[in-house]
Amino acid sequence: MHVHRLEKIWLSIGISMLAIFLIVIAATAFGMGMSPPSEHHHTIDPTQVTTTAPFDNPGLKQTGDNRYEAVMIAYAFGYEPTTLEVPVGATIDFTVTSSDVVHGFQIVGTNVNMMIEPGEISHMSYKFDKPGEYLVLCNEYCGTGHEYMKTTIVVK
Amino acid sequence: MTGIRPHAKQKSGALTKAELDKKEPGLSGTFASVLILGAFIAISWIGVFVLFIARN
Repeated sequence: MHVHRLEKIWLSIGISMLAIFLIVIAATAFGMGMSPPSEHHHTIDPTQVTTTAPFDNPGLKQTGDNRYEAVMIAYAFGYEPTTLEVPVGATIDFTVTSSDVVHGFQIVGTNVNMMIEPGEISHMSYKFDKPGEYLVLCNEYCGTGHEYMKTTIVVK
Repeated sequence: MTGIRPHAKQKSGALTKAELDKKEPGLSGTFASVLILGAFIAISWIGVFVLFIARN
């Protein structure tokens, strides 16, 4: 089979680009822990969310030096607790589930962006280096009030 | 018709099938287009990756 010289060149460029992309993604995921939220598989009965720990007591809890766990419930059409106050420089481990339908949880301007599915518990961590007010939006259609579904995280 | 004089060009000036098979295809235009597309892909991938690292 005859492969043209130019075809050999662009094929090798294409294959090397693919190899580089995959290696970089693997390095950041396994080496630096930048993986999608689905990594920790953790289930719950969606009808018993408000009575199952830790969701029977949502909110911010200190778990270490400058480390907190934020336990939140997404529902139609808001998040519980409604506002979180976080000190600057703290790392927050978000533990979120839904008590009804699929919702989204995106902290605008950050990499925190995950689907909150009933029956599943989503985990994602973020270090808030900059003070300010962060908007949390639902980006998965969940019903008539979907476009109003939001909350805020205040970092001081 | 081309069986009688297989190496001759057709009256219309087009190459015969035998000649087309032997002649190397001109791929320099395709090569340029592929490189432009590759550059677009590389630049957008790197751009999104930079945003990802910055927002972490």
